Amino acid sequence: MKLELKDVRYVYAPGTPFEVEALRGVSLIVDPGEILGIVGGTGSGKSTLVQHMNLLLTPTNGEVLVDGVNARSLKKSELRRRVGLVFQFPESALFAPTVEEDVAFAPRQLGLDEEEVGERVRESLRALGAGELAVRSPFALSGGEKRRAAIAGVLAMKPEVLVLDEPTAGLDPATRQELLALILGLRRAGISVVLVSHDLDEVAEVADRVCALEEGRVRAVGTPAEVFYREPAQAPVTVRVSSLLKGSKPEIGAPVRFRETLDALRALQGV
Amino acid sequence: MENPGEGTRNGGSFAVSCEKLSFTYPGSGRPALSEVSFELRPGEYVGVVGPNGGGKSTLVRLLNGLLRPDSGRVRVSGRDPATEPFEVRRHLGVLFQNPENGLVAPFVEDDVAFGLENLGVSRQGMRDRVARAIRAVGLEGYERREPNTLSGGEKQRVALAGLLAVEPEILVLDEPTSMLDTAGRREVLEYLKALRAEKTILHVTHHLEELAGADRVLVLNGGELVADETPERFLSDANLLRENRLVLPVVPRLALELGLPPARLRTPEELAEAILARTESGTRAR
Repeated sequence: MKLELKDVRYVYAPGTPFEVEALRGVSLIVDPGEILGIVGGTGSGKSTLVQHMNLLLTPTNGEVLVDGVNARSLKKSELRRRVGLVFQFPESALFAPTVEEDVAFAPRQLGLDEEEVGERVRESLRALGAGELAVRSPFALSGGEKRRAAIAGVLAMKPEVLVLDEPTAGLDPATRQELLALILGLRRAGISVVLVSHDLDEVAEVADRVCALEEGRVRAVGTPAEVFYREPAQAPVTVRVSSLLKGSKPEIGAPVRFRETLDALRALQGV
Repeated sequence: MENPGEGTRNGGSFAVSCEKLSFTYPGSGRPALSEVSFELRPGEYVGVVGPNGGGKSTLVRLLNGLLRPDSGRVRVSGRDPATEPFEVRRHLGVLFQNPENGLVAPFVEDDVAFGLENLGVSRQGMRDRVARAIRAVGLEGYERREPNTLSGGEKQRVALAGLLAVEPEILVLDEPTSMLDTAGRREVLEYLKALRAEKTILHVTHHLEELAGADRVLVLNGGELVADETPERFLSDANLLRENRLVLPVVPRLALELGLPPARLRTPEELAEAILARTESGTRAR
């Protein structure tokens, strides 16, 4: 499915002295099967933007299109099944006595039979490498396990687009890398992923395209190399290092991912 | 600012001391902390790292009296947080990971003032402290904003200001930058650096690069204190990193792979310079 935001404006607390214009005309496309990274400083509008993707927030102006159809004309429940949104710190919403019951909660609301619900629960836990957590209490899990259980709950709705708002915040580095590997696996399964992150290094590793927000506007959108090399001061470490060397060593090219960068640096050293 | 050594009753000269601290959550079969002992001297800046579930957050909660140890002893400025939690919290302020849970008041300035309400500070004294704390985290102009209109990073800075307004001599930071962007993170770290002269700081983080300037780094894994090292030694110890599910930040990781010293190269600039120096000397040799 193709998700499109057209000139979306959003104002918090309109008509009050505390009015804040969080989005000032954002146009953006999420293509089927891609990982789109959304980056930007705190307060740039990242979280506000992604809450428009399933109309949890309705634009003050502008529109959201799902395969060319205005999202407002779709049933909300249907839209939210197709566009799964995982909030920041989603584990705070875990509530059931076991992980499998928690993951089953949302698909059960779809009116599926128990067999289908069970199948989906197993599938989404497996996709997140969390199969062994099924019968455990969500409250006795580590931070990374809780995070995966919470994401599995959204995945069990079989969304076509999965929106993850800061999915790795607060996780230890090894768990973070595992979660990124799982996100790549979801894309291979045909799900589009919107990854909001303030960690540019991790966006550099997985994103197909990057959208950089600044003060509620799109500053740049394109491949990671296009976006990050345009403004190396606001780029991942790999790009910052390569940009510093580019002046005297133009042959380094424009590597973004860690592996590419390492290979380019090795080539520079004649290793 | 009070003297950091003040309040060290019972003859103790440590800001914080933990002796064989153990704690098991009710219903859990495995201790969250097991016989952990360490001390913080006044003015020290000490990092705490380790995997999720390693015991870091449990330690923080034992230090400010939110939890009581099953066995062992904690002293904060000579006081026992389990029996004198309110007194301890004037001396030791904790900034928790997720600011969303901690903001309560309608406006930013009220939120920053909240912790002062019951400390017997005069009206004017409160105003001064709140203004100072807000300035310290770069939120001037935000005084009358509603916290719910702020981004995650801004909320974190409000929470930090609220902590600083109480003027504790010990700061415990439980992943204070996990919700901040690069610029916000740099700003908070810069400010923490400025505080190092006057505060004792225990800094829990997953970002090893934040601890490059620490006096020591403690590693908690499986509830045990498995290492207490200088940051330099720590960053060069590949086994220690791997065993504790830690991943080197990108700069030292690139350095290591390129055969350059990982602990001495902290910034992209330093790394680029080292690479350039080496390619040039290589060219000359040829």
